[in-house]
Amino acid sequence: MTSTLTNRPVRTTTTADIPGAAFPGIPFTRLVRVEWGKATDTRAARWLLIAVAASTFGLMLVPLLSPSSVEQSYTSYLGFAAVALSILLPVVSILTLTSEWSQRTALATFTQEPRRMRVITAKITVSLMLGAGAAVFGGLVTAAALGVAAASGRTPDANLHAGLLVAFLLYVVLNVMTGVALGALVHNSAAAIVASFVLPIGFGLLGRASHLVADWLDYSTAFNWLLNGEWSGHTSQILVSVILWVAIPLAAGLLRTVRREIN
Amino acid sequence: MRAYSRTARLDDMITTTALTKSYGNARVVSDVSLHCEPGTITGFLGPNGAGKSTTLKMIVGLARPDHGTSTVDGRQFVELPNPTRVVGTLLDASAMHAGRTGRATLTIAARMAGVPTTRVDELLDRVGLADAADRRVGGYSLGMRQRLGIAQTLVGEPQVLILDEPANGLDPEGIAWMRALLRDFADRGGTVLLSSHLLHEVQATVDHLVVISRGAVVASGRLTELLASSSLLLRTPDPDNLARALRAAHIDYQPGPDQTFTVDVLGGRVTPKMVARVALEQQVLLTELRQSDSGGLEQLFFSLTATNAARPQEAAA
Repeated sequence: MTSTLTNRPVRTTTTADIPGAAFPGIPFTRLVRVEWGKATDTRAARWLLIAVAASTFGLMLVPLLSPSSVEQSYTSYLGFAAVALSILLPVVSILTLTSEWSQRTALATFTQEPRRMRVITAKITVSLMLGAGAAVFGGLVTAAALGVAAASGRTPDANLHAGLLVAFLLYVVLNVMTGVALGALVHNSAAAIVASFVLPIGFGLLGRASHLVADWLDYSTAFNWLLNGEWSGHTSQILVSVILWVAIPLAAGLLRTVRREIN
Repeated sequence: MRAYSRTARLDDMITTTALTKSYGNARVVSDVSLHCEPGTITGFLGPNGAGKSTTLKMIVGLARPDHGTSTVDGRQFVELPNPTRVVGTLLDASAMHAGRTGRATLTIAARMAGVPTTRVDELLDRVGLADAADRRVGGYSLGMRQRLGIAQTLVGEPQVLILDEPANGLDPEGIAWMRALLRDFADRGGTVLLSSHLLHEVQATVDHLVVISRGAVVASGRLTELLASSSLLLRTPDPDNLARALRAAHIDYQPGPDQTFTVDVLGGRVTPKMVARVALEQQVLLTELRQSDSGGLEQLFFSLTATNAARPQEAAA
């Protein structure tokens, strides 16, 4: 086989004195670009993103089709978008983190960039970008649905203000971050996804038995307070949930990722 | 003869010094030191489970040694600013994302290395995967994954290649192709370290050999030296008289099939000339007298690993 390629294995004399100096480190923006590609270039990832979009449209039908039983207000509609996004978006984040281990691509990835923390930070950045993008998408779908409601003769209560929009964005992003933290810690796609569905249900059930659990440990309760702008009286509970479900597992997961030996 | 070793040289591209690692109580790599210089292919040979992969993983920073150090191009691997521009690594061709196409896999590597993505098509063509480029890797055979893995190692135009069992899954044509590619890479001044448990594969490809067994280096040196240090093969139509002649000259021999004899060269103390003279003096016709070939390295390999394997038992006895 003939080839026009040259392998360039021979060092040039100018760089021989300073090994590796000819090639600067990988810029963070490039890492983010690569991780963005990885998060979106497989069929599974694309279907998942399509499913996120579809579930947002689907759940928006609930307030649209049941005007008598569902409150017709801007916040009510936005709430359905928030719930839709919080179901599958964390799964996207989980897979961004875990697929390196389940597909064993960590072997290649961490020889391409041995500073593992930079790779993980790029993955987190991509998850946040996807979360923010999804929040904007959810906002647009909500606006469209409200437009449809108005066109059908209803007048939804325009009870939305900037604070609640920020709360909506925070809610989506925090749900994404629970997925990121779980993925960083667990490393196994199936186990992390199962945990992301079972843990909220489990703590929800426990919360029925114990107010203490419901108020302090069940993050879906805390995040709902956040979504509904009910900060007063719940600030510390919301913060505890963020620390417990995002900060601690994420810190432990980063430590585990940096230290783990790769086979 | 087997203790061939040399001190590190400044231009060594891969160096390890006394790499040692245990998992629990099991010591998997013990005091492994090796040096690979530009323009050469070094074979890292040993039976499965000898510690080859663990050693390679320590070199590229995927596993932490308990003791010892390693450098690539004069630096610890994890300190290389953009490693794939210096060293192409293929540790396991099956460790690829099954849902990604070959082209997407290489595009990621090209972006990480910071080379133009036009190189992706060139490489796909070069490794013979142009037609399969847009198929998902999950549908690739192991041989195709090895080819894709080789393309991945070449993306950053490195000076060093580190390959773990690159011949796995390749058909004979693929092995010949890989051999030519690596030879070309080394001839251009590149440095290759490849592991294998396949003696014949290594024998035809490498310049230097490091044999590892039970985590420890049991032989290392130039392939030619290691081969020369094994044995001579003799053939005669008159085996009885040859045996008598060899005994008289105090040369140890092993009778083989088809009127052959094998004589250990004892590190060069027994030479073909010496054997020929013995036969001449005793008027015994020799129809063949040469370094025993294909079996030579194999014998060396098995004798070394067997000796090494027996050692703990001796210590216990």
